[in-house]
Amino acid sequence: MTNTLDRRTLLTSAVLGTTATLVGATAMGSLAPETAFAARAQSPEPGAPDPNFAEGRVTARDGSMILAAGSDGRFHRIQLTGGTSVWKLRPTTLDQVKVGDGLYARGVLMPDGTLAAESIWVNIVNLKVHVTAIGKNVLHLDHNGSRIVGHVVPGTSAAVYNGKPAVSDLSMVKVGKHAQVIGAWRPDTNEIDVATIYAAA
Amino acid sequence: MAGLRGEVSWFCCGNAWGPCGSAGHGACGTCNSGSWQHAWTNTSDACFAITRPDRCGITGVSRRTCGFRHATTNLCNGARVVTTIADCGPQTDLFCGERACCGGTCASNRVIDLTPAAFSAIGSLNAGLIPCNVEAG
Repeated sequence: MTNTLDRRTLLTSAVLGTTATLVGATAMGSLAPETAFAARAQSPEPGAPDPNFAEGRVTARDGSMILAAGSDGRFHRIQLTGGTSVWKLRPTTLDQVKVGDGLYARGVLMPDGTLAAESIWVNIVNLKVHVTAIGKNVLHLDHNGSRIVGHVVPGTSAAVYNGKPAVSDLSMVKVGKHAQVIGAWRPDTNEIDVATIYAAA
Repeated sequence: MAGLRGEVSWFCCGNAWGPCGSAGHGACGTCNSGSWQHAWTNTSDACFAITRPDRCGITGVSRRTCGFRHATTNLCNGARVVTTIADCGPQTDLFCGERACCGGTCASNRVIDLTPAAFSAIGSLNAGLIPCNVEAG
């Protein structure tokens, strides 16, 4: 992925201290260059855990360092830099990552065990659902037998009908139909904010 | 099996947070969101009876079982990831005729679901659905 490689190169440059414009990257500046490039070349075997990926819930945050408890019991230290892209319902800023949030992060695993994050997706869910009811700015959804409340966020929520460009008009989403929803979970609830709903027109 | 062109999405499995919390480890019992794995529509007769890609006109999806390797290429950027079968899915027939496009490149019908770790290696998770090509890896 060209975009990822560019971001990875940027992060590596930040680690090596050759990109002066990346705020916060100096936190990793003590790492040896050969180690950083070795990390870049890592590629897990098919089926194996990806060392350059983390998931879990944010348990603490200290400036640009995030501590996350993985659902598998592992703990992750995730370093945000000026080159980290953050998604939380929409592309947003680093300060929007809060304690209690769930996350997926992709980056470069550094020798000290810290993940230097290229991208972080906060509270993101991708649900295949059955639309059970529609109200004002809300979709009631069934996901594998569990009830999910999907909040429509004016100005943000969009619909993609049959692969056509996304539109803000969700009126063609129908009760009784299947759909796929990319959204942001509201932690510790059965509610999400809808980013994109994919549906048949 | 010749290359299969269609849509790829992602799904969570294993221990997880939020609505994914009850996902379980998939049909193979090994699925984890952080591993390079995927769901395949024809892992068994019971699986195929659920996914039914044939109802969308997709024929010749080979029977492949847990651990088989497939390579998925993102047609938007050429990025490729090789993963192993860890679950049954996607449920292709629920979305017959659906298309995913980027620029002028489009593909129809869901043919594979990747774990978040694998999908994020070839595209952004918030993209949700992207056109792809799948072949034996």
